[in-house]
Amino acid sequence: MTAEGADSPGLREQIARNQQTIDRLNRDLERKSDQVRIIQQISSEITSTLDLDQVLEIVLRATERVLGFQHSMILLKDLAEDTLRLFASRGYDPTGVGAEVAFGEGVIGVVAERKRMMRVGSLGAGIAYITSIRARLEAAGEVAPAGAAAKLPGLPKAQSQLALPLLVKDRLVGVLAVESPKPNAFDELDEILLRIVGNQAATAIDNARTYQMVEKLSRLKRFFSPQLAELILTGGADDPLKTHRREVTVAFLDLRGFTAFAETSEPEEVMGVLREYHADMGKLILEHEGTLERFTGDGMMIFFNDPVPVPNPAERAVRMALAMRDRVAALLGRWRKRGYELDLGVGIAQGYATIGAIGFEGRWDYGAIGTVTNLAARLCGEAKPGQILIALRVAGEVEDLIEAEEVGPLALKGLAKPVPAFNVVRLKGRV
Amino acid sequence: MGILPDEIKPAMQGVIPSHVVTCSRDGAPNATSISQVYYVDPDHVALSHQFFNKTVRNVRENPRAVVWVISPETFDAWDLEVEYDHSETSGPVFEAMDMQIEAIASIVGMKGIFKLRAADIYRVISVTKNVDERIPLPDIDEPAGRR
Repeated sequence: MTAEGADSPGLREQIARNQQTIDRLNRDLERKSDQVRIIQQISSEITSTLDLDQVLEIVLRATERVLGFQHSMILLKDLAEDTLRLFASRGYDPTGVGAEVAFGEGVIGVVAERKRMMRVGSLGAGIAYITSIRARLEAAGEVAPAGAAAKLPGLPKAQSQLALPLLVKDRLVGVLAVESPKPNAFDELDEILLRIVGNQAATAIDNARTYQMVEKLSRLKRFFSPQLAELILTGGADDPLKTHRREVTVAFLDLRGFTAFAETSEPEEVMGVLREYHADMGKLILEHEGTLERFTGDGMMIFFNDPVPVPNPAERAVRMALAMRDRVAALLGRWRKRGYELDLGVGIAQGYATIGAIGFEGRWDYGAIGTVTNLAARLCGEAKPGQILIALRVAGEVEDLIEAEEVGPLALKGLAKPVPAFNVVRLKGRV
Repeated sequence: MGILPDEIKPAMQGVIPSHVVTCSRDGAPNATSISQVYYVDPDHVALSHQFFNKTVRNVRENPRAVVWVISPETFDAWDLEVEYDHSETSGPVFEAMDMQIEAIASIVGMKGIFKLRAADIYRVISVTKNVDERIPLPDIDEPAGRR
């Protein structure tokens, strides 16, 4: 067939194909060098901010503009569990931000579990194939039917997915994923480029997240013990600053005679007494796992069973109040020597309250609102020096534990009917 | 320089099912379609071993096989003559295949049931782009009376 020479269709085809290959390689090379240049720009942009949303936005914008991926998303690992949550996406409607993906579920979940990149170009075919095998196995009775399909964020008919684990020193921060409705949409070059973006993204996201946590931690530490603040932050407890409703035991305490004392004493003396008193009461609150809601001079409001539920909140409140009374009795000895006439009064009630952040930007407080707080405050107001007055509900919870005497019913401001109340004398079995 | 050209890679993504022909020790042929032939390196491909089927059994008796893959982009078809080399149950090739199978299985609620037992690695002996077996497209350049 040599006679056909250069006119041979086979040879012509071969030359055309070679040219195609050369063109393709040139295009790839151009694309690559262009992209590497822009990626360098992103790296400076990405490290210039500690705002997590901004970092995510920069990463997604880069994957679209530079790499040309139209559907991209970033999922971050939950701090406590092996779950991913969708934090940002581009090219989806609606966004589905907040959607969860368990480890091992779908392409993204498996990438998170194995901490290895995955590129799939034939999701549709793969699913169809396994579904048909499943049907055969089901028909043969070899597998149980059902097994609900996982509901995953992303395109409903994605054919190609490229998912990259975001790692900082082998620790998973999240997953960066791109997808396409077209099969085989991503190739090895895309893998390389996404990896470059992803390596930078992982560190930037991790830094932003750490910064966000430190900020949040310092805010939480204003209200809660350091341990609890950590627990809330790592997801071990719900964010208590979100408004929620829960049954709590509330204790109010203040110093009888404090107003008169403050009026007749030097401010330095008043501050000295408060400091001693706050320091000692603070220790006892932490010991009994109470939450200090607020200080107002000599007054304190403490509640139990929130933000972290505790067993027997009423018992804790009563035990704390008794310990406080003992402690104040010791302080009183010294105070009396200096001529201060002070004593502790406590009121304790239990019931449902609405709890959450109260205030305004820059000055948030953690607060509880409900009849229960009012009742506790009024009981505290009624308490004579050294008395711990508890409401009926609390008395019912701790009746086996304490010796108490009935002092009610009391007509309290803000409450329609007189309420029964009990003075806690001592723990049973104590003299 | 390996034997597999770069342009064959799109045909090894599982978009269009592939076919594999094997022979038992006593010469009984078997042809089957498979979901994906995996590209390992320029001289090797891998087939997934999920169930103990005839293909798996045959190549362990008689390692020669022919694999047919189609590019979803150009519809080019390739015949690969291959020889079963060994089976892997760990390592990067196995893990990449296993991850992919697990991901897809989990989507259809078959996680744990549909598992990769092994990655069967085949050495590629020859590659032929099989123009004649291409899915027919109008070809205006076809010289008359060529056959």
